[in-house]
Parts: sequence; structure tokens; C-alpha cells
Amino acid sequence: MIEIENLTYRYPLTDAPALQDISLRVPRGQFCALVGPNEAGKSTLCYALSGYVPHFYRGELSGTIRVAEAEVAHTDLPHLVSKIGLVFQNPFNQISGARFTVREEVAFGLENLGLPRERILEQVDEALELTGLTPLGARSPYALSGGQQQRLALASIIAMQPQVLVLDEHEMTIVLVSHKLEWVATFAERVIALAGGRLVGDGEPLDVLTDPALVEAGVGQTRYSQAARQAGDQGKPLPVTLAQAVEFFDADRR
Amino acid sequence: MSSESISLYVARESGLHRLHPLTKLALAGLLLAGGLALPQAWMTYVFFAAVVLPIALWGRVAGALLRAIWPIALPFAISLLLVRGLLWPSGTPLVALGPLSLKEEGLQFAAVIVGRILVVTGSFVLLSLTTRPDALMIALAQRGLPGTITYIMLASLQIVPRFQAKARSILAAQQSRGLEIGGNILKRIRALVPLVIPLILGSIVDIEERAMALEARAFSLPGPKTSVLILADPPAQKAARWLLAGGMLGLIAARIAWWR
Repeated sequence: MIEIENLTYRYPLTDAPALQDISLRVPRGQFCALVGPNEAGKSTLCYALSGYVPHFYRGELSGTIRVAEAEVAHTDLPHLVSKIGLVFQNPFNQISGARFTVREEVAFGLENLGLPRERILEQVDEALELTGLTPLGARSPYALSGGQQQRLALASIIAMQPQVLVLDEHEMTIVLVSHKLEWVATFAERVIALAGGRLVGDGEPLDVLTDPALVEAGVGQTRYSQAARQAGDQGKPLPVTLAQAVEFFDADRR
Repeated sequence: MSSESISLYVARESGLHRLHPLTKLALAGLLLAGGLALPQAWMTYVFFAAVVLPIALWGRVAGALLRAIWPIALPFAISLLLVRGLLWPSGTPLVALGPLSLKEEGLQFAAVIVGRILVVTGSFVLLSLTTRPDALMIALAQRGLPGTITYIMLASLQIVPRFQAKARSILAAQQSRGLEIGGNILKRIRALVPLVIPLILGSIVDIEERAMALEARAFSLPGPKTSVLILADPPAQKAARWLLAGGMLGLIAARIAWWR
């Protein structure tokens, strides 16, 4: 679904590359988390997957990015939206400002795609249902709380039914960018770690999130593995989720 | 309608609300031309009372119309009557105020302008009260107005309140760090810098993210766009628009003739 080979990217007017020699593959249907410290390149990698790099930001890009059979660097941004949907960090800035109700806001992208009205309404209803926004459909997007606006941003992208969500539902591939490592450890099947624009870790959550080299590189660790480390090396695998932590410390008591 | 928008639209069940947005736009144009074409000041006031207000009553927004108009018209009326009345170079004095006097001709001139302001604001406010801005923009886009123009017009209505909210939060943040905004004019100007710079820089960042978010919604995709809003446009309304447009042109022609 996602294939990146030797991706290096430098923003315009900068010296240091934001991404350096990244290669990775994410198969269809995988829930993959992208973690790393600030300035690691997480957002830039998301922009590269969605085509904003290089189409929107320009800059120097080498290597290849393929998403759902499309060569990102050679596909126009508007034509990538059915393949990949990106939900940004700030939900407020994702509200188009061109529609007056939540329902119409979710429909905005589908209207731009020129879909027939009946199909738009079907997809909008489905997206509102998935995000729990159906009861708020007649409200102004600006009258929602921050959390509801975040769900609205997600609904607006889900409604367009992209094959890759950079987040998912059903059988879409999800790339989730997060600092919440406990959450990542609980739900993601795979964790990709970036630091200084380089790929420094890639694997199952337990392996990546307990790697001492990655803690050193600023990727961080879950509070559970941190507590277990402080308790001393006991030759047991470090926990990364609450359930694993309970098991880890319970074993000590027994 | 949320208070988070500067749109004046008031949702009501009325015949005026149900008209196609372009029909209401043509009606507003006719009212505007009618008010401006009348040769005598008193006619403009009669026109407002006998034509604009009854239409507002039909749309069940007469109260809202008057509430929206007076904060605009009243300051203009007072300042025009005083300035024109007192500073009219020569004419018939009505009331002496020290070395100055209110002149009849100056007051008459001010009354003409105030009447026109009443009709101009009345026409546009009536259109705004009964027409959703997005419906009007969709209607204009369906007639060929570029999507970017309609988007800028619409988004501006929505963005202004958010811009104000952002300015308020920056002000609160800077005051909590000890910024003083009172005092003499120099202090006040100095206090503007830590307010304006974060506001401008923050807004530039917002604009970039907004542009990207629009791309994520296929905004720049070429080709025909559709709409979930149904804008009923029966043949009778199309005919009415031609009549309204014809009437507007007729009034403009009459005004030009009267001027001669």
C-alpha cells in the first residue's frame, strides 16, 4: 500500500535534510504508528506520503514514494485525495469556512470531487456515524468543542474514502503520528521511529518502544517501561502497555 | 446560525427566505436602484417605509432589519446633519448656535444622504438576513463565478470572528506575562508590538495549514463540482429575475433623466 525507497527531502532555503534515506513498506490494512521526538521528521514524512512534499512545499526530493499504486511525486495533489487522507494536528484549521453546518462541512470535499448528491449524502452519513457526530449534524462547525472539531476533521477525510489514512477505519491502512506512546503500544501493530530525519526504529511496539538506543535518541519510552527500568534489570522483557506492566510487577510480588 | 460567524442570516420560514438566492440578489438590486433613483428626499423615506419594510415583514425579519440598520445609519445621520447643517457655506439659518447656525439647505442635503444610506443598508441587510451566504455563493458559482472567489468571500465571513478570538487570547496571554496596555499613547503603541507580531505570524501559519487542508478536500480539483444544498429555481423565479433586472435598469435610466 505504501512503498518508500531511499527518500531524502530538504525544505526550500534549508541546509539540513528533514528526511534522510528513508525506506519502508506498509502493507494494506496495517495500523502503523509513527513516533519520534520533536523535529524528527514525522510531519514531513506524512506530508511526503500525502503529496504536500514536494507539490505544496517544493524543496529537493530524491527517492520514490508510492501510495496505492500512485507515484506521489508525479501525481497532482487533488488526484491523491482519493488515495490518501491526511488529518492535521490542528482541527480548527481543517474547517473549510465555506459551509455552515457540520453535515455540509463533511460534504464539502465530496462536492469538490463532483460526486452525485445521493452518494455524497450516503458517504456523509456514514462518516458522521463512524465519528459519533450524527446528532451534531445541524450545528455550526465553529460551535463544536475542540474534541468534536477533531472528530469533524476526521469525518471530513473519512467521507472521501481514501485508501490510506494518515488514521483508519475498516480495512484502510493507518499511519498515526503520536507522542502518546502508551496509546501507540496498545493499539498499533507496528511502530516506526524517526529521529533527526532518519529512520531509527521499525518493528513491533514491544521491540521498538523498549529499545534503549531509541530512548537515548529522544524517541522516548512508555511510563511502564520507564518504571520497570527504574525497578532494575530483572532479565524480563520490559512492559509497554498497562496489562504488561501489571503482569511484570505482579510476578515480582508472587 | 452560530454566533461564531459574522453572517447576519436569520433562519425563518417565509416566502422571502424560500426565494432563490439570485432572485433575492436581483430584488436587493431593484430596491437599491429604487431608493437611489428617487428625486426627492422624502420619497426615499416613503420608499423605505412603504416598500423595504413590508418586504422585510414578509420575510419575518423587520425587527432584525431595524436592529441591524440603526447602529449604521444613526451615527451617519447625526454627523451628517451636524456637519452639513452647521458648515453649509450659505443659506437660510434656522437655529443659531453661537457663531454658527444650522442652515436649511445643509439639513436638506444631509436628509437626502441619510435617506440613501437607509435604503442602501436596508437592501443589503435584507438580503443578508434572508439568504445563507453559502447558498448565495453556490448559486453564483453555478452561474460561473470562480470557486476561489466565492470561497474567499465566504471564508472571510467565518474567519473574522476567529481572528478576533485569537487576538483576544494573545492579549490575555501577554497581559498574564505583565504586558501593560494602558497609559499614554507611546506606551500603548509599544504594547501593540507583542500583540500584533504573534497575531500576524500565527495567522500566516494558519493560512498555510488551511491551504493544505483545502487541498486535502480536493478544492483545486478541476472540473464540475456538485452541491448537497438544493436551490429551487422554478421558471417563474427566472422570469421574475429578468423583470427585477429590467426594473433596476429602468430606474437607473430614469435617475439619469431626472438628473438632467
